[in-house]
Amino acid sequence: MATGLSYREKSLYASLVAELVVYGPYFVLHRQNSVNKVAGMIVTIIVLQIILQSVIASLTRNRVTDERDRLIELRGYRAGYLTLASLMVIGLGMLWIHAAVGHLPLESRMMGLHFLSVFFGMLVISDITKTAAQIVAYRRAL
Amino acid sequence: MPAIRNQIRELRALREMTQQELADRVGVTRQTVIAIEQDKYSPSLETAFKVAIVLGVPIEQCFQYDPQGKR
Repeated sequence: MATGLSYREKSLYASLVAELVVYGPYFVLHRQNSVNKVAGMIVTIIVLQIILQSVIASLTRNRVTDERDRLIELRGYRAGYLTLASLMVIGLGMLWIHAAVGHLPLESRMMGLHFLSVFFGMLVISDITKTAAQIVAYRRAL
Repeated sequence: MPAIRNQIRELRALREMTQQELADRVGVTRQTVIAIEQDKYSPSLETAFKVAIVLGVPIEQCFQYDPQGKR
């Protein structure tokens, strides 16, 4: 694969595609979320990632990673962490408001599903942010 | 102007060495060599020394520090 992209960049693009393909329909199309759907989503993303990463690894001769890759990875994790921390504050605040105004009692089963959906959504958004931040860093040369 | 500038492109051209050859000998990716040559990435001290050794010049001939430059 003789492209201008390094092995890590190709791997990141594949991760982003997998994340958008799997998580996108889940959050856009499904109104009712459940534990089974979340578990299915996690299994699907793991399988898809293994397939995509295997294909990229087999098509890429030079799989060297270096200090710049590690620096960009750290920047990605920082962006992902900041996103997750911000979303946690916002998400918990919104759930608390929901409960406070009586829309959903804290002890109800629906509240548990809401928690699951909200926290899963936070993880997904922060993961996509992490991947996207790394791609942007590569495109800007750092 | 960046704080750390370099003459890698010129030194590499004098030796008729490609970016990939330099990258392989230093142990980095070709994209990192490109980023260094474009002054978009300042390498670690270890990588800077390796570049100088591969190009066969003192490190100060490869890299220069400008205190007035942007970090």
